This record gives sequence, structure tokens and C-alpha cells, in this order.
Amino acid sequence: MNKVVLEVKNLTKIFSGAFSLKKMKRGKSTVAVDNISFNIKEGEIVGLLGANGAGKTTTTQMLLGTTEKTTGKIKFFGKDFDKHRQSILQEINYASAYTQLPKQMTVYENLLVYAKMYQVENPKKRIEMLLEQFEMVDYRNKDVKSLSAGQVTRIILTKSFINFPRVLLLDEPTASLDPDIATSVRKFLLKQQQKYGVAMLFTSHNMAEVAEMCDRVVFLRKGKVVAEDTPEGLAKTIKHCSLRLLVGDGLKRLKVFAEGRGYQIKVKAREAEIMIKEEEVASFLNKLAKHDIKYSEISIDKPTLEDYFLQMSDEGKK
Amino acid sequence: MNRARIGALILRHLYNFKHRIDKWVDSFYWPLMDILIWGLTSVYIRNASTTIPNLVMILLTGLVFWQAVWRSQYEITINLLEEMWSRNLVNLFATPLSVYEWMVGVVLLGIVKMFITVGFSFLLVFFMYQVNIFKIGWLLLPLIGLLLMSGWYIGFIVSGILVRYGTRIQTLAWSGVYLLAPFSAIYYPVKSLPLWAQKVAQFVPTSYVFEGMRAVLFEGKMDLIMLAKSGGLSIIYLIISGFFFVWMFNKSRKIGLSSLE
Repeated sequence: MNKVVLEVKNLTKIFSGAFSLKKMKRGKSTVAVDNISFNIKEGEIVGLLGANGAGKTTTTQMLLGTTEKTTGKIKFFGKDFDKHRQSILQEINYASAYTQLPKQMTVYENLLVYAKMYQVENPKKRIEMLLEQFEMVDYRNKDVKSLSAGQVTRIILTKSFINFPRVLLLDEPTASLDPDIATSVRKFLLKQQQKYGVAMLFTSHNMAEVAEMCDRVVFLRKGKVVAEDTPEGLAKTIKHCSLRLLVGDGLKRLKVFAEGRGYQIKVKAREAEIMIKEEEVASFLNKLAKHDIKYSEISIDKPTLEDYFLQMSDEGKK
Repeated sequence: MNRARIGALILRHLYNFKHRIDKWVDSFYWPLMDILIWGLTSVYIRNASTTIPNLVMILLTGLVFWQAVWRSQYEITINLLEEMWSRNLVNLFATPLSVYEWMVGVVLLGIVKMFITVGFSFLLVFFMYQVNIFKIGWLLLPLIGLLLMSGWYIGFIVSGILVRYGTRIQTLAWSGVYLLAPFSAIYYPVKSLPLWAQKVAQFVPTSYVFEGMRAVLFEGKMDLIMLAKSGGLSIIYLIISGFFFVWMFNKSRKIGLSSLE
């Protein structure tokens, strides 16, 4: 059985309100992360999902120690983060679409600084190898300021692998990448997981990517863990699938028929989309035939992680 | 020419002026500092012009010595700002780098850069004005060392404020050190200051260095007690400023270093 490499227990972050000189008192405190617990095993990729403001980035920053937790425990490799910060940070790394690297320095200079920071042996060789894997060899001697947003993201990802990390914290790592580059980055990440057992905590707004990459998803809402399962498991909790029909004759009758039976229906031109339980599809179609409603095309879309995300986000707004 | 567009542009910068403290500093702080320092210097020269030997040497040596303070504090504050501007602060402190290692790193860098700047300044005043600052002799070393220490403690105090409040008060990186300039008596003796300012100057380590510098240039010697006073105060301030920076850094971590970027 794989070892637990990251253990988060009752982690909480409360941001104190700012002091107002006008009112001579502090503003309201905000609970950004509320008593969350989860763990990651060696070689596991766990997605941390949630709408904006759910607490994903704050959680990641607390795991790095760049934001101080209010309460709770963080353990990497069985060691308490508070007591072993330096030795833990030596073995983990981080990439985020929201950070940058010094722009006046070249790609190589930036990577060399980080290689030295992690005391990587033979840094030149490591940098060359990673630049090759991230298809950035041609940009080796270019200033970071001359790179596109996608290229900078790739350099930040390259940096995150410089110290042979055992745990990687990735905050939207493929944001701003072209689809083909994002695909190759995902392949590289999966290869690192399989070959070296690198564990990853992965936040992304791309649900298809999370479904592809993650073994497990921890869903946050208003700072709390509201669900934890495989991407498929979460998607399955959505009971309705989407039944799409290209209706030839009887579009109005179909609308009346579906609404009369309490189904949610959306009509666009000749296409109707009905939200329906999967086990009811056969009998629904049967009844359409009896009502002489004709359709030329049919498709059934099973619920995805995105549907789950949308449902949870909607519930959060209520 | 469109009056509305010109008006909109002026409005844009007036809004900027309203929200940015550094624009206020440009408008009020610098004129105040310049008038204070050069006013006091002018009064000193007017009152004692016939009795000041080597006036050019006094002024230029003061200028070069002040470079040492400015450069060593600037290196600390600007390196922190560079990380904030580059949005690299989180990347940096997500490595095993500790805040103490960062502090030692910028101090060492400050020494190197200070020697480059001050060395260049020595050469400039020598070739342009035939002023040889090396005439100060062996005392040059402790004097420069004390100036360096002053730069460090000012640098850590200013950096402590920057690391807590971010780039919106970045002007402190350039202007903070000048708060001490009038009390440091760079170009004029401490006794030229008003009485209340003379009392303040007693607690400013650089005032002893500049007084010592003038004493060496006038009389070829200085009171070593002044060196000791300056050294003692500098060590105390350096310890306090180090604690202050670490305390503010930890306060910033409570909010999240990413909020600085």
C-alpha cells in the first residue's frame, strides 16, 4: 500500500478584518478555510476543486508555509510542517499560473538560481533535461520578459521539477497554455507520477483536465470540504443526464409533454435538451413515439465532473 | 486638441495622486528634505566660511560617505521590492530559504555593491576634484563599517514595513533613509542643528561618523569614544531592526505573502 505523503488535519485559516482608522475597530474576520482534512498518498494526484473563493489557493499557500495557518496540522512524509519546514520544502515544489519569475533574467539564469536554492547536484544537466522535456530548449538564453504567458507557465513548471520533488502543489498549472502544450504538459505530469511516484495536489478550472489527471477530488465550498471521491464518483452523484433530440415534427407537443411531467427542457431552434434520469430515458422515448413526436437525431450525455461542479457552485450561491 | 480628453488625462493623474502615497512624498517630502539639508549647510558655510578649511573636501567626503549608508539600505529594500515586482516572492519562500538566510544574503550583497559604488565615488572625486578620501587613513575602515551598519538597520526597518504593507508604500525604499539625513549632520556639524535636533542626533549613529569624519579632516584625529558610541547604537538598532523585520515578515505570512504580489 502506498504511504501517505501529505496529511492535512483540521486545517483552518481565518483572516482578521483590516483595522479601520475611521471606525477605530477591526473589520469582520473571514473564514477562508474551515476545518478541512484530507490526505495524499505517494504517486496519487488529488484535485482540489471549488469555485473562486472556495479556499483552494489559501490551502495551497498554507501547505507551502507562505500563508500561516490559524489552526490544524500539516504533515509531509509523516513530519510536522511547523517543525521541519526546511527539510520538507527541500522535497516538495510548487507551480502556479499566478506567480512569475524575474523578467530581466534569462530562462537558464532563473532555473539555475532555483537549482542552487534546492542544492541540486549537477544543476546544468538537470536544467537541460527539463528544458528538453518541456520543449523549451530554444528559449534557454532568452529573457523571461520576451516569453509569452504560456511559455512563462512552462518555465514555472520546469522550475517546479528542478529538485526531484516527491510532492508537487500545482495551482492551475496549465492555465494560459495552448491546448497542444497543455496536453504535453499533462502527459509529462502523468509520466512523473508513474515513473517516480510524484504525488500532486492539483487545482484547475478545467474539469476535463481534472477528470483526466486526478485519482481523487476534494471539493471545497466556502472553505469546507463538501465532497471527496473519484472524478467519476462525483459525476455519478448527478442523477440526471442530458437527452438531446433534433425534433422534426411536434416540437411544441414535446415541450408541453416534458414540462407536464416535470422534466426540465431547453429548446434552441429545432434542438431540445431534456434533463432526465438515465433509467427513465427508454420509457420517455417510448411515450414520445406514442404522441407521434418525431426526431431525426438523438444523443445522451452522461453527467460529467463539470456538471457536478456547476451543481455544487449553484448550491453554494443559494 | 480635445479639451475633454486632456481633462480626462489630468483627472486620471489626480486620482493617482490621491491614492498613491509616493506622489505625496514627491510633492512634499523631497522639497522639505532638500531645503532642510542644504539650508542648514548654507547657514553653516555662511556663518563660518572663513574658518572652514578644505570645504570642498568636507562636502564631497560627506557626500561619498552618505552613499555608503544609502547604498547598503537600498540594496536590502530594493531586493525585496524586486521580488514583489517580479511576483517571485512566493516562489522564493516556497523553497527551503529561511527569512534569516534572505537577510544575510541581502546584507552580503549590500557590502559588495556598497564597495563598488563607494569605490567608484572615491575615484570620481579624486579625478574630478583632486579630493583624496584615503587621506582619512585607517579610520576610513571603521567609519565605512559603521555607515554600512546604519544602512542595514534602516534597510531592515523599511523592508519590514514594505513586507507588511506591500508596494503601495514602495517610495519608502528611496525616501526612508533621508529621514535620518538632517540629523546625521552630513555636511555641517551637529551644533548647527536646532537644540531639539541636536538631542535627536545623539541617538543617530551616523551623526558621530560624520562628526568624526570632519574631525579627522580638520585635525587629523577623532575622538574614539564617538566611534564607540556610534558602534554601540548601531549594534542595538541592528538587533532591533532584525527582530522588527522578522516580526513584520511573520505578520505578513498571516495575511499571505501572495497578497504582496
